[in-house]
Amino acid sequence: MAVLRLLIRRLFFALPILFGILLLTFLLVRLSGNDPAGVLAGPTATGEDVIRITKQLQLDKPVWQQFIAYVNTLAHGDLGRSWLSDKPVVRELLIRLPATLEMVIGGGILGALIAIPLGLRAALRVNGILDHSSRILSLIGFGAPTIFLGLLLIYVFFYLFGWAPPPMGRLDLLTTAPPTITGSYLIDALLTGNWEAARSAAARLVLPCVCVATVYAAPLIAQTRAVAMDVLASDYARYARACGLPPRDIRRMVWRNTAVPVITYGATELVALFGAAAVLELIFSWGGVSQFGLMAILKGDFAVVQGFTLLMSLIAMAIFAVADIVVMSLDPRARK
Amino acid sequence: MNTALRRAKALILSTPVGAAGLAIVLLYALVALFAPALAPHPPIKAFADSVLAAPDAQFWFGTDGNGMDVFSRILYGARYAFGISIPVLAIGMVCGVPIGLIAGYRGGWVDELALRLMDVLRVFPSIVLALAIVAATGQTLANVVIVIAILDIAVFVRVVRAEVLTLRASGMVDAAINAGNPTWRILLVHLLPNSLRGALAQMPIRMAWAVRVSATLAFIGVGVQVPEPEWGAMIREGSEYVISGEWWVALLPGTALVILVIALSMLGDGLSDLLDPRRAGRAR
Repeated sequence: MAVLRLLIRRLFFALPILFGILLLTFLLVRLSGNDPAGVLAGPTATGEDVIRITKQLQLDKPVWQQFIAYVNTLAHGDLGRSWLSDKPVVRELLIRLPATLEMVIGGGILGALIAIPLGLRAALRVNGILDHSSRILSLIGFGAPTIFLGLLLIYVFFYLFGWAPPPMGRLDLLTTAPPTITGSYLIDALLTGNWEAARSAAARLVLPCVCVATVYAAPLIAQTRAVAMDVLASDYARYARACGLPPRDIRRMVWRNTAVPVITYGATELVALFGAAAVLELIFSWGGVSQFGLMAILKGDFAVVQGFTLLMSLIAMAIFAVADIVVMSLDPRARK
Repeated sequence: MNTALRRAKALILSTPVGAAGLAIVLLYALVALFAPALAPHPPIKAFADSVLAAPDAQFWFGTDGNGMDVFSRILYGARYAFGISIPVLAIGMVCGVPIGLIAGYRGGWVDELALRLMDVLRVFPSIVLALAIVAATGQTLANVVIVIAILDIAVFVRVVRAEVLTLRASGMVDAAINAGNPTWRILLVHLLPNSLRGALAQMPIRMAWAVRVSATLAFIGVGVQVPEPEWGAMIREGSEYVISGEWWVALLPGTALVILVIALSMLGDGLSDLLDPRRAGRAR
């Protein structure tokens, strides 16, 4: 019940933010000086064609009327058509979404599984070997931009050792894609029992996921360690130690109290990963929605850009909502 | 003189990590300043007969796909790194600190508006936002600087606002108000110096971020274009050679970038330990 109330409240607060993002991207597109009718009509179009398309897209009306019309079609679940391919934007985005999710969520889980235990351990033994190595790891992860990390891994594991498959797409060339169920090749292949495709998809996933995990783990280690140290220094932790509770119980207590801020922080960082994913997808020719959005921005396909920014914000809000629910299940104080 | 030396030594001993970071950053700054004197070759001179040459005595870091000397280009690239991140930092602080001060002190609709704007920035991968704005407003270096600065403003607003909020509750401000200080005096004399601490510790971290983001934008092909000796653009140019084994074209500029970013964040760690002794020994 409390969860439902929270979600409704979330939605209530999310609406103005969504509206702001819509307005921002809309204005950005309209003020960019790109003439949509000109782009759509193509280089061989006559002046009449441009005028016809201008009318059709209602670009001759005042900007605020255009915005209302845009929000109106949006409310019907229609994001319009891509200026370049003329396909519906919603479909173009949704068929590419699973590829990005597969990479970001896979890497995110891997990163969290490394970062959180490491951060906790580091806090329990400050200045120990684990503490120092976690600090170095987090510095490297923070310092290495995804572009460098991706290329370095490709050079070492594809060119030097030959362990990794070439960084070109999500499946080996001769492997047929499994039928679409979830859209993630790995999961679909496993569901249909296609081991050949599953092996290929998994091998292709390794390097991108390691990149995502490194980028994600770096700030998460530092944050987990800082929060856990605060918890360890708190009065209740000291009291628990003074009462002679066994270390195992204290560790459990520290974890429960560390989890809440770390999850909130982890959600924010997870959102940022979708930006990093765009660059990684470019390097690994992944073909996910982030790369698609990136390309749309570069080519000036603003129908897709608007849809993409909206999708990204929706994903961000979904992540924050999930984080809130998890926090509520862990922290009784958040349930009120 | 002797005391100054001793104080410097004490400072280095209190944060060795920060001091090491500072030393590396200063080295990079020197390289940026004296790049023309240090570089063995002009940065955009193409040696047509030695394209993609491996590192040797003539080309220490090899040559790229156009036959340009990678080592010289890396040295010149430091100019772009500082040339972009310093203005970004300046704009971010000059705009962000006053907004944070007023939003934190005044509260009300100013604060509400600032918070909502920051919410919008928060739900958005910043690289995507930066890219969208630069693509829409025109791909010039000035636009890249402005866009990254705008994202930075939000960070400084948040940091300063949070400091002001805790200071407001501390009673110090109430005392100043009751003593009859005008608002501008409270903001400038009482709140600004005390809240600047957080902003100062953020400076190297934000600089590191600006270096990273501008390189990423150049890698995507926005802002600085390829013949210019900018690290991100160089990594882009070299990325196609990584799978055929010519690693130096992309990975050496990348290493230069990574070392600078790590040094800046080490400096940031050291600064926040110094400025806030309670945090000493803790990671960011």
